[in-house]
Amino acid sequence: MSDPEFRRLDARMLLVHPVQEAVRLFPALLAVFVTGRTSGRSPWWDVAAFIAVVALGVSRWFTTRYRITGGQIELRTGLLNRKLLATPADRVRTVDVTAPIWHRLLGLARVEIGTASGTPSERIVLDALAAPIAHALRAELLHGKEIRASDAGLVGPEPTSVGTGSESLLLQLDPRWLRYAPLTTSGLLTALALWGFAVQFIGAVTGPIEAAFDQFRAWGVWITVIVLVSAATVWVALLAVTAYVLAYWDFRLTRHPGGTLHTSRGLLTTRSTSIEEGRIRGVELAQPLLLRLARAAHLSAITTGLRHAEPGGGAGVAPLVPPAPQQVSIDVGVAVLGDPEPLRVALVGHGPAARRRRYVRALLPAVALAAIAGFLEWRFDLPLAATAVGFLLLLTAPFLAADRYAGLGHTLLEGYLVTQEGSVYRRRVALQRDGIVGVVVRESYFQRRAGVATVVAATAAGRQGYAVLDAPAPDADRLVAELIPQASDFRDG
Amino acid sequence: MGSLLPLIAAQAIWWWRDPASPRPVQWWLVAATVVLGTAYLAVMPQWRYRVHRWEVTPEAVYTQTGWFNQERRIAPIVRIQTVDLTRGPVAQVLRLASVRVTTASSAGPLAIHGLDHDLAVSLVEQLTELTVSDLGDAT
Repeated sequence: MSDPEFRRLDARMLLVHPVQEAVRLFPALLAVFVTGRTSGRSPWWDVAAFIAVVALGVSRWFTTRYRITGGQIELRTGLLNRKLLATPADRVRTVDVTAPIWHRLLGLARVEIGTASGTPSERIVLDALAAPIAHALRAELLHGKEIRASDAGLVGPEPTSVGTGSESLLLQLDPRWLRYAPLTTSGLLTALALWGFAVQFIGAVTGPIEAAFDQFRAWGVWITVIVLVSAATVWVALLAVTAYVLAYWDFRLTRHPGGTLHTSRGLLTTRSTSIEEGRIRGVELAQPLLLRLARAAHLSAITTGLRHAEPGGGAGVAPLVPPAPQQVSIDVGVAVLGDPEPLRVALVGHGPAARRRRYVRALLPAVALAAIAGFLEWRFDLPLAATAVGFLLLLTAPFLAADRYAGLGHTLLEGYLVTQEGSVYRRRVALQRDGIVGVVVRESYFQRRAGVATVVAATAAGRQGYAVLDAPAPDADRLVAELIPQASDFRDG
Repeated sequence: MGSLLPLIAAQAIWWWRDPASPRPVQWWLVAATVVLGTAYLAVMPQWRYRVHRWEVTPEAVYTQTGWFNQERRIAPIVRIQTVDLTRGPVAQVLRLASVRVTTASSAGPLAIHGLDHDLAVSLVEQLTELTVSDLGDAT
C-alpha cells in the first residue's frame, strides 16, 4: 500500500496546548512577573513572556505529526530537537484513550500507545485527536481494522457504545459499591495531600484557629478527641467517596471478540483502556484490611505496556474491578483468566518457620517502640497517654502476625503460579507461568537459619517481579525447578 | 572498602571543622570504626568470594551472589534480551570485567562481577550465539 501522509493533531489543540504550556511553565512565568513588579521593569517583558509561552504551545501543534503505515506507527515531534519515533504495530500492547475535562469540552481525546518495551521514552502519545478519530485509531491498532486517512474525518460512532459490535459486558459499576469507598486508602491520601497544602497557609488564618483552641479548652480532652476524630473520619470518608466517583464513575469492563479487554471509567476525566488479552499475564486480587473485613476486593490485570499511577495499582497494573464485593472481583477474574482455579484454589501454607518469622518481625519493632516509650516515661515522666500509644502496637502485633501468616501461601497450577501474602494489604497474584522470564531466590542470613527462602518470579508485566515469601527451602527449590525446567542442572547450587 | 570511605571522610571532616575536637565521643567513634571496619574487611570479601558462583549451560544462566543476604538468579537462555560487558577503572587495571544479562523483566537481571577479561569476552560471545536464534521474550 502507498504510504499515507503524515497527519497533524486536531486543530482544536491550538486552544489547549498554550494552556498546558502555561501550567507547565507556571513557576517560570511567576518568577518573571514577580521580578518585573519588584524591579519596576517595563511591563512589556511580561507580555513577551506570555507570548513566548503561547508560541511554544502553538508550535507543538505545528511540529507534531504522526502516521500509520503498513506495519508501523510513526510520530514526529520537537521544534529544535526533531525526533522520529517509530514502532511496529504488532508491538502495541495497550491503547489508552484519556479525555481530561478540557479535552471533553472541546470533543478531544488523548491517545497513549503502550508498546512491549514499556519504557516511557518509547510510549507514543498523541495529545490530542478528535474523540471519534481517537477511538477509531484504537480499534485500528488493536483489531487491525483499516481506516484510511481520507475517512478519518467521518468515522462512525465510537466502538465502545453499546449495541455496536459484539462486545460482551463483563462488569458495570453498581452505585451501591460506593459504600466501599471510605474503606480504601485513597480518601486518607487525598486528605493528607490537602493537609500538606493547607499547612502552608495556616499562618494567615490564626484567628479561627485560636477560636477553635478556646473551644477545645472549654470542651476538655475527651470531647475534643471525640469531635476531632469523628470530624476527620467524616472528612476522609467524603474525600474517599469523591475520589471513587471521580475515578470509577460509569466503570465498564467489556470483552471484544477481536481479543481485547476494554475498560472505560471516570466522571470528569474519562479514560478508556484497551488491553490485548493475549498479553495479560495474570490478575491481582487486592484486599486491604478494611475492604477484607467488609468482604470486598478489587482486581487488576497484570500486563505490559501500561504506566498508570492509580489507586491500588502500580506500573503495568490496569484496574479491572474497582473496590466491589469480593465475589464480583473473583467472578470477573475467573472470566478474564478463563480458569476458575487460580482465584479459588486453597493455597499451601509456609509452615512453622515462616510463622515464627511473622511473629518475630511483627513483635520486634513493637517491643522496641514500647521499650523506648517506657524509657522516656521513666526518665522524663511523660503523660501516661503518650506512653500508652507506644504500647498500643505491642497489643496489635500478635494479631497482625497471626493474620499475616494465615494469608501467606502459594501453589503451582498447570498454567499459573498463585501466591498470596499480607495482612494490611493482602493480595493474591495469579501469574501465568508462560510469562515468567526468570527466577530470583533471596535468602537473608536469618532466612537461611530458619530454613526458608523467598522466590521471586520475574516477568515483563505488572510489577516485574512477584514474590513467594518465606517458602520452606525444599519447597522453594522445587518451585524453582518447576518454574524454570531448564535449571535442572543447577541442583547442586 | 568503598562503603567505609564515606564514614571515614565524615569523621575526618568533624575533627577538622569542630573547634572542640577531640571530644571523647569522637575517640569512641574512631575506635568503633577501626574495630568494625577491620572485622568487615576481614570477613566480608572472603565470605562473598566463597558464595559467588556462576554457570552457563546451553539452556540457562545461573548466578549466586551476596554474603549476609544471598541471592540466586536463574534465567533461561530463551528469555535473554541483552548481554553487556562492562569494565570500571579499577577493573581495567586488574584486567577484570563484568557481564550483565538482562531479560524482559526489570526484576531479574543477572550480573557476574570480577571475571577475567578474556573469559568475560568469550562468555559474551557464547551467550550471544546461544540467544541469537531464539525469539519470544514473553512481553
